Amino acid sequence: MSEAAHWIAQIGNYSFNMDTLITMWVAMGFLIVLAFAATRKLVLVPSKVQAFAESVMGFFWGLTDSMIGKDGRKHIPLVASLFLFILTANLMGQLPLRLLHLKHGELASPTNDINLTAAMAIIVLCYYLFMGIKKKGFKFFIHGFGFTEIILFLVEILEMVTRPLSLALRLFANILAGEILVGAALGIFAYFLPIPVMLFEVLVAFIQALVFMMLTIAYISMATAEEH
Amino acid sequence: MADVKTISDLAQLGAGIAIGFGAIGAGLGIGLATKGLLEGVSRQPEIAGKAIAFFLVGAALSEACALYALLIALKLSGMI
Repeated sequence: MSEAAHWIAQIGNYSFNMDTLITMWVAMGFLIVLAFAATRKLVLVPSKVQAFAESVMGFFWGLTDSMIGKDGRKHIPLVASLFLFILTANLMGQLPLRLLHLKHGELASPTNDINLTAAMAIIVLCYYLFMGIKKKGFKFFIHGFGFTEIILFLVEILEMVTRPLSLALRLFANILAGEILVGAALGIFAYFLPIPVMLFEVLVAFIQALVFMMLTIAYISMATAEEH
Repeated sequence: MADVKTISDLAQLGAGIAIGFGAIGAGLGIGLATKGLLEGVSRQPEIAGKAIAFFLVGAALSEACALYALLIALKLSGMI
């Protein structure tokens, strides 16, 4: 399909997928404008936008308090940013942005590009390693010198590869497969068959953002957990 | 996108086999997750909210395995 080619801009030896970058900036701009509008004049009896933002924050407080523990709230900036950005980015694919024709590629979800999801997964990896080492020093890696501790250490090293890989591939594959499915449904019975497929894609958008965020919280809580 | 005529027959057959086995695994995984959800909620209906959150995460993790197979199938049949 010709949409598989991105609009590539070359700067020196590096190439950038400009359509992914533009839709990513649109998603970021939307979230920043929403954040400013929600926190402009904070009153005790909240207005509509502020009440919505407070309910979102309450959701994150409840989640981190139950899964990480008492000082889990300092991880909320990363976790909430991941969830809100991935949710906005996934839902952008259902908007009729494809009506704007580009020469190569098209304006769909920024998360249908493996580069974006891999970047987010690597950020999560570096973050939980940093938090684990900051909390436990180098005892984060070496628990002891017995046989089971060496096996656990090797499994930890293996998981440093598989966790970001699975995070990136899961989100990328879900969103890309959804777009291919909508395209196929358009080919079969245009205008009517894509509608249930797109409704399913909205559900998949929510679920994938939730899964990415909860796996991040789980990795952070496993890295900073107290030994028994 | 590669032309259908340039993809060998065995590669297209491999694509079909890949997604077939992937779908079997995902179907079993999501079915087991739903079984756990229903058993937990039928014993104790108050935990329905938290249980549904765990179910969704578990189902998405199982679904991801089928999607890895789908990516390989798409690559073998030349679409990605």
